[in-house]
Amino acid sequence: MKKNFLGLIVFVLMILSLAGCSKGNGNEVVESKESEVNEESEKVLTMAIGSEPDQGFDPVYGWGRYGSPLIQSTLVETNVDMEIVNDLATSYNITEDGLTWTFNLRQDAYFTDGEQVTAHDVVFTYENAKASNSIVDLTIMDSIVAIDDFTVEFKLVKPESTFIYSIAKTGIVPEHKYDDTYGDNPIGSGPFKFVQWDKGQQLILEANEEYYGKVPEIKKVVILFMTEDAAMVAAKTGQLDVAMTVPSLTTVEFEGMTLLNTDTVDNRGITLPVVPNEGLTTKEGYQIGNDVTSDISIRKALSYGLNREQMVEDVLNGYGKPAYTECDNMPWFNEESIVNYDLDKAKGILDEAGWIDANNDGIREKANLNAEFTIIYAAGDSVRQGLALNASEQAKELGISIQVEGLSWDEIDKRMFRDAVLMGWGDQTPMETYLLYNTSNKGVDYYNPENYSNVIVDNYMEEALTTTDSDKANELWKKAQWDGTTGTSTLGDAPWVWLVNIDHLYYIKDSLDVGEQKIHPHGHAWPLVSNLRDWKWIK
Amino acid sequence: MDRRKKSKLISIIIVAIIILVMLLGTLITEDMLSTNFKDKNQFPSFEHPFGTDWLGRDMFLRTVKGLRNSLVIGSLASLISSIIAIIVGGLAGTMPKWVDNIVRIIIDLVMGIPHLILIILISIFVGRGTKGILIGVALTHWVSLARIVRSEVLQVRNEQYIKISRRFGKSNWYIFKNHMIPVVLPQYIIGLVLMFPHAILHEASVTFLGFGLSPETAAIGIILSESMKYLISGMWHLAFFPGLVLVILVLLINKLGENLSLILNPHFTRE
Amino acid sequence: MKIFNYIMNNFIKMIVLIILVCIVTFTLAVNSPIDPIRQYVGSGVTLSVEQRESIEEYWGLNDTKLERFQKWAYNIMHGDFGESLIYRKSVMSVIKDKAMSSLFLMICTFIVSGAVGYLLGLIMGKYRDSILDKILKTICVTFSATPTFWVGILMLMIFSVKLNLFPIGFSIPIGKTMEDVNFYEKVYHAILPIITLTLVFIPNIALHTRSKTIDVLQSDFVLFATARGEKSIMINHVIKNTVIPAITIQFGSFSEIFGGSVLAENVFSYPGLGSTIVDAGLGGDIPLLLGITIIIAIFVFIGNFIADMLCMAMNPMVREENIIG
Repeated sequence: MKKNFLGLIVFVLMILSLAGCSKGNGNEVVESKESEVNEESEKVLTMAIGSEPDQGFDPVYGWGRYGSPLIQSTLVETNVDMEIVNDLATSYNITEDGLTWTFNLRQDAYFTDGEQVTAHDVVFTYENAKASNSIVDLTIMDSIVAIDDFTVEFKLVKPESTFIYSIAKTGIVPEHKYDDTYGDNPIGSGPFKFVQWDKGQQLILEANEEYYGKVPEIKKVVILFMTEDAAMVAAKTGQLDVAMTVPSLTTVEFEGMTLLNTDTVDNRGITLPVVPNEGLTTKEGYQIGNDVTSDISIRKALSYGLNREQMVEDVLNGYGKPAYTECDNMPWFNEESIVNYDLDKAKGILDEAGWIDANNDGIREKANLNAEFTIIYAAGDSVRQGLALNASEQAKELGISIQVEGLSWDEIDKRMFRDAVLMGWGDQTPMETYLLYNTSNKGVDYYNPENYSNVIVDNYMEEALTTTDSDKANELWKKAQWDGTTGTSTLGDAPWVWLVNIDHLYYIKDSLDVGEQKIHPHGHAWPLVSNLRDWKWIK
Repeated sequence: MDRRKKSKLISIIIVAIIILVMLLGTLITEDMLSTNFKDKNQFPSFEHPFGTDWLGRDMFLRTVKGLRNSLVIGSLASLISSIIAIIVGGLAGTMPKWVDNIVRIIIDLVMGIPHLILIILISIFVGRGTKGILIGVALTHWVSLARIVRSEVLQVRNEQYIKISRRFGKSNWYIFKNHMIPVVLPQYIIGLVLMFPHAILHEASVTFLGFGLSPETAAIGIILSESMKYLISGMWHLAFFPGLVLVILVLLINKLGENLSLILNPHFTRE
Repeated sequence: MKIFNYIMNNFIKMIVLIILVCIVTFTLAVNSPIDPIRQYVGSGVTLSVEQRESIEEYWGLNDTKLERFQKWAYNIMHGDFGESLIYRKSVMSVIKDKAMSSLFLMICTFIVSGAVGYLLGLIMGKYRDSILDKILKTICVTFSATPTFWVGILMLMIFSVKLNLFPIGFSIPIGKTMEDVNFYEKVYHAILPIITLTLVFIPNIALHTRSKTIDVLQSDFVLFATARGEKSIMINHVIKNTVIPAITIQFGSFSEIFGGSVLAENVFSYPGLGSTIVDAGLGGDIPLLLGITIIIAIFVFIGNFIADMLCMAMNPMVREENIIG
């Protein structure tokens, strides 16, 4: 027995030493839980802002699309008022025909390993981004060449006024230091330097002291990837300086933190199949069409009959605004798309179309079909769930019965062609309108699952894309929404019932100043930090 | 009141409670559970014993419905499990050695993979949702029951009266039905009842992790997965009461098993 | 010689089981309705048809099932479980990164719950029917009826949030780079998950030990020993006879501890094999899912094997039985 006991002790000691073996080396000094430092400028900014990019911090695969790439620089960027300003480029020029774009680069930009940023890096980045066929859509780009070390020339397939926005989102990677592990260990010429990334846990950045622009005041940034719930717990213990949150949690008190709500173009709405079920399926065999929602009166009735203000109050706790299109308040927004909440009008539309509740069960019928359908949404998102359920509750008054189901994305893939989907979009470019409604984009990724097709609208959009005059372009985009006869808004075909623009909500430590926020696009997390280099601690 | 009478009484009471919960749960309609944004975030009151959640749904009704769903899934899974167990255990006990060896390997195999992980795997590959969880739980829980059946059968197999019966020319099936089942049944029932709570807890855990039911479903796992949110926002009652109720249910079922054991196994009343 | 045969038989059995696990999990995976492509690329990404096809080709999803199994089986025998779709590294390296933290968690739980549970069982057995016994028994029974994740959430709320005694999760302090983290901090972060799991697993061994202890104390030879005036009955008789069943039971719950760690890691955002398997499952990362399952199965089987061997080594009666039977 004694021998066994001794053996047991040795065994236990061996196991305990296993834990020490993995990554950390035996630094025996016990450090304190939070980094206590004297200098204000040395304070570490800690934030929990949600999801990390699957493919790493690689602009070639779309990193930086929803904000600023932070680690890398872009040729131009958008400022607080959504205007284009120069970044890596000192100037640029577009020819009359809109096909040739020439950029002159600054000569004082260096990657954090000391190598200078040249036109060759730009060419390398764009060529790889185009070939990667991932999130970065550069099909409009025909070619790109370096005229000399500091001049780049793009040639487009056809004119596209929105191309400048794509350029503003594409970070430049170093040609000499790029391989397929780049995303895990990137270097760039941006305001921040990459330090470490523990997948599923945290990203650590440091201010880039050699940055050609204003060096950030915040010297070290730690971004944590946590679930909504875990982030709230962390915020409660005072360990976070910034935490994302949702409307239902805005009543919670976090010591030393204040709620910040930013305006966004991040919207939520319901897309409804506009074609009936004729037995057709997609290439993968998913059923297309819905006999109830394909009736335009149902869609219009919902748009007039849902009280959007009420939704903002009930579901968003006031943190949001009603939305009537995918681009409310953008320069290309057609104000005629706004419709007022009018329950009687909605009921009238249904009555006229023949939807009557003959058997008094609370649900209207027409030709033996009940006015019922299902809204599906991505499970795990409490705002989407709330909006869908609220819409369902309100629709009862219209005599429409709506089931709500939360599903995973791969299940949504299968059902989105025959059920209504509660989704969100919102970008700072009118390209979004094109992608959402164009006939050619039906069912591409998550665009146009409702099978919408309107040739007149298509024409307006094509024209808007090829115009080089941005004012003229905006007029055309507006016509696509409503030109007096037809369009994508409620007055026209109403393939979408847009509901709200949500505010993005964050709890921010009182001692932190997050600068002026641009209107955020879709995406809760990264848009907040697009101006990270302007943040500072308040004394 | 003597021990046996007391046990019988307790058993009947517990069974009655369980049936009551199931009935109530079945009676609760979608309507009663629907959202009611006017009433959101209310503290417990007479009208809403457990309060309401952030969508205005009554938590008490949701909990009862959730329990009922868990009980149903638990029962179905247990039923399927038990059928598998009887077949497998019976085969192992009555058939020649090689069948027994195969069965033992299968048992070891299923026991090797932790239940939760196996349920996750099965529910993913079968396509999530209620179906997935049901199949997952059923396929993991037959094991302990099968072992009980098998060991009882093996024990009885060598008894004198079996040998005599065989001498008389009775078929295997006859022996199984008339001799073995009466002996095995008590242990079997107890095993079944005791397995039930495990099934329920596993189902709640898997749902909690997100494999399975859509967030609208009233299920205990779903309700409990929202608990961190409730605890943070100070609505602790929304997290505490449903959890408490689940624990009580499981305890009751365990108690039931204990009492059944006392009734059916008089010689184990040493405790 | 006979002992050697026995060991070899068990060893072979273990290998067979491992092979079976591989076959079963692979078959399940291949027949799954999940489309790994969509999961991989995620939402909000534009995908052309050509690109889709190239991803399919790359992941070998166009071969027949038998071909894929052969390719896969060959690969895993060389330790190559393919590449994780989520982490874009080899599955093996992902597992290696996470395994240490999980193992640490589980082994600590195993030892602590075993030791504490055993002691509690002895105490309960010795003082049966006393107030102490009743209280402990109620606590044990309650904990074994509570879902692991709930215990975790309660721990988190009470000890992390309210009392601020322990970190809220993760395995290393926020913002520390890997090189700066030391052993004590790792232990510190593992404490709450370990306590959670321990609380859930103590009842099993405690209650079993209690009943075994009662059995021993009521047996004839203890009666005899008391009559003879022996002083340390507990140590000489009870422990000798209850330790081995206790260890056996504890090893039996080895597999369940793995299951429990999945839940505990989830609640505490602790990055180990448990939370990774959930991510892999929800994210449709089939290679990673298979890889972790098989590794875990291997661990459990090895654990059981060791348990059998220990049992045999410590208990001559079992030894005899197995050699003859």
